[in-house]
Amino acid sequence: MSIIEVEHLTKEYRLGAMQGLKQKLLHTAARLRGKKTEQRPLFKALDDVSFSIEQGEVVGIIGHNGAGKSTLLKMLARISTPTRGTAKVNGRIAPLIEVGAGFVPDFTGRENVYLNGAILGMSRQDIDKKFDEIVAFAEMEEFIDTPVKRYSSGMQVKLAFAVATSIESEILIIDEVLAVGDLAFQRKCFDRMDDVIRRQGKTVLLVSHNIRQVERMCTRVMMLSHGSILQDGDPHATCDRFYQVSNQTISHQKAKDRSTRVISSGEVQDIEVAVLDAQGSEADSLTEGSALRIRIRFTLNQPLTNPEFHIGTHTTDFVYLTGESTAVLGQSHEFSVGSHEIEQLIPVYPMVPGTYGIRFAVIDQRGRVVFHGESLRFFTVTAKTMDAPLQDELRLVSVPIEWKLQGKHYFKQDKSN
Amino acid sequence: MLRLAKNLYLHRELMSVLAWKNIALRYKQAYLGIAWAVIKPLTLMLIFTLVKSFVGIDSGNIPYPILTFAALMPWTFFQESASDGVNSVVGNTSLIKKIYFPREIFPLTAVITKLVELGINFVILAGLMIWYQMLPSVYVLWVPLIILYTVLAALTIAFVGAALNVYYRDVGAALPVVLSLLMYASPVIYPLQLVKDKLLVHQAAGEWSNLLYTLYTLNPLAGIIDAFQSVVLRNEPPDFAAMVPGAILIAVLLPLSYAFFKRAESFFADVI
Repeated sequence: MSIIEVEHLTKEYRLGAMQGLKQKLLHTAARLRGKKTEQRPLFKALDDVSFSIEQGEVVGIIGHNGAGKSTLLKMLARISTPTRGTAKVNGRIAPLIEVGAGFVPDFTGRENVYLNGAILGMSRQDIDKKFDEIVAFAEMEEFIDTPVKRYSSGMQVKLAFAVATSIESEILIIDEVLAVGDLAFQRKCFDRMDDVIRRQGKTVLLVSHNIRQVERMCTRVMMLSHGSILQDGDPHATCDRFYQVSNQTISHQKAKDRSTRVISSGEVQDIEVAVLDAQGSEADSLTEGSALRIRIRFTLNQPLTNPEFHIGTHTTDFVYLTGESTAVLGQSHEFSVGSHEIEQLIPVYPMVPGTYGIRFAVIDQRGRVVFHGESLRFFTVTAKTMDAPLQDELRLVSVPIEWKLQGKHYFKQDKSN
Repeated sequence: MLRLAKNLYLHRELMSVLAWKNIALRYKQAYLGIAWAVIKPLTLMLIFTLVKSFVGIDSGNIPYPILTFAALMPWTFFQESASDGVNSVVGNTSLIKKIYFPREIFPLTAVITKLVELGINFVILAGLMIWYQMLPSVYVLWVPLIILYTVLAALTIAFVGAALNVYYRDVGAALPVVLSLLMYASPVIYPLQLVKDKLLVHQAAGEWSNLLYTLYTLNPLAGIIDAFQSVVLRNEPPDFAAMVPGAILIAVLLPLSYAFFKRAESFFADVI
């Protein structure tokens, strides 16, 4: 029998705030007279979600903000009730929805350990037995008889984590709690979680935005999007999908944001920026290390003699990455009134996976800026291999590499090849 | 109701820890500490005694200060249990949103907390009895039952009030007003005997007198306070006739109140 069974789980929330007395009376009166009144719209936080989890599985739940992760956990922990469907849990559940829920600032560390333990369902004897271990794990021996309000926030979280992970239960729900404390303590938390997962064979549900952590710890990853399961299964495949989707979201958002910064004299109009793939058709993304082809179409309503065109790329926070000008070509061109098309090709675009923007400038022969625009279009560089995202935080450009180890030469190889 | 009893038993440790938290927290940084629990009824007793010297209330053969203190004990306990109970769910928002355990734990814990304070007031009552050289009789054995009945009356208000308060905070705001009105409708300042004499003996309201008296005793506190005074001070058994209407009311309303609370509790985390 599965330890967790979720069937057609739906949770709806009514949007907007509670109505005041006057509105409520007006609405009731209108309804009594048989008129239809405006209902506050419904929002589906979870939409017909079904899955089951077996004993001993370590399941990661990922998804963008508002995808329904926490709502799902709340249903499983019985904090909230589903609108439709069922969430059956066959075992004792320890919800670490947020560590330190119910810490009382005026109490000492010792008192809070007992209080929090009781809230999480431990008996007094259990806490007595584990007290020393909890305190030792939290490294709190010195401060255990000091009121918690005098603790630093890191100390509070450490103590709370120590209490929470000492509960005996078949199922452990963890929502974003591992990102606590300093690096050394995070390491300890990991080891403790590993111990819980591997040696004690508990079923664990882990919600986190730290995708790397999820990928490493879980045997199965579920990706939620707008209240339904987008993908469920192999951690690598699901996490990879997550990267793709979130990159897309960033570029969509940026495009919508109109963070476009433009200075224009009005002589250049109808600017159309496109990223082309090898076949010459428009694309929004390219693979890491492949060619970047930018095509710009525009209309001139004044003729321009020997203008300088400048095309470049930048990060979403406006760090200029590439930027090349036609001035270095030393060629003279006449651009008449009407529409024109120019292209720039970077044979190997070296940036790591991410979202980038395109910048375009036109300068006339006397050095006057006729047009300058940033974030005219966004494109994504996607990872070539699945491991690549792990390195992205540690580098900005990806370059061909040669290694020499113990006298032997090695070249960077792509796993996909 | 059976479920309530089972939950009570399963979570007894949690409730005792939470009650300990409430008590410890209330007096943690107060110099007088738990003494505050007795200061309220003592002050009221002094004020009422002062007022009595102007108005003249017949307290029978019992000295008025101790009679009114014996009325204030169950009354204060009831009033504070009910109002703390009503505010207990909203007051524990952070727990409600994070952790599940049966939500009736909150109103129940509020009442248990007040039981401890009531216990302290018994020490003062004993002191007063020594001062007035009064001896308790065998009838004090009724005290636990009377207190249990008071607990049930307070819970009747606490369950439905706590659930409603989650949706409409008006309840929490209105309750102190309603409760202070209820105090004047209860035999706190005056003994029940006065009401009984006026209505049943003198038939002061004519043919309506008996009905009015029944209405008056529909307030469970009327029976509770009188019974408490009788068994502790007058060395008499409780006046059951004065208790029956209130007891019937509580017997009907408590299950309804609890059922309402359980129905509403699944939405607490969403609404609160």
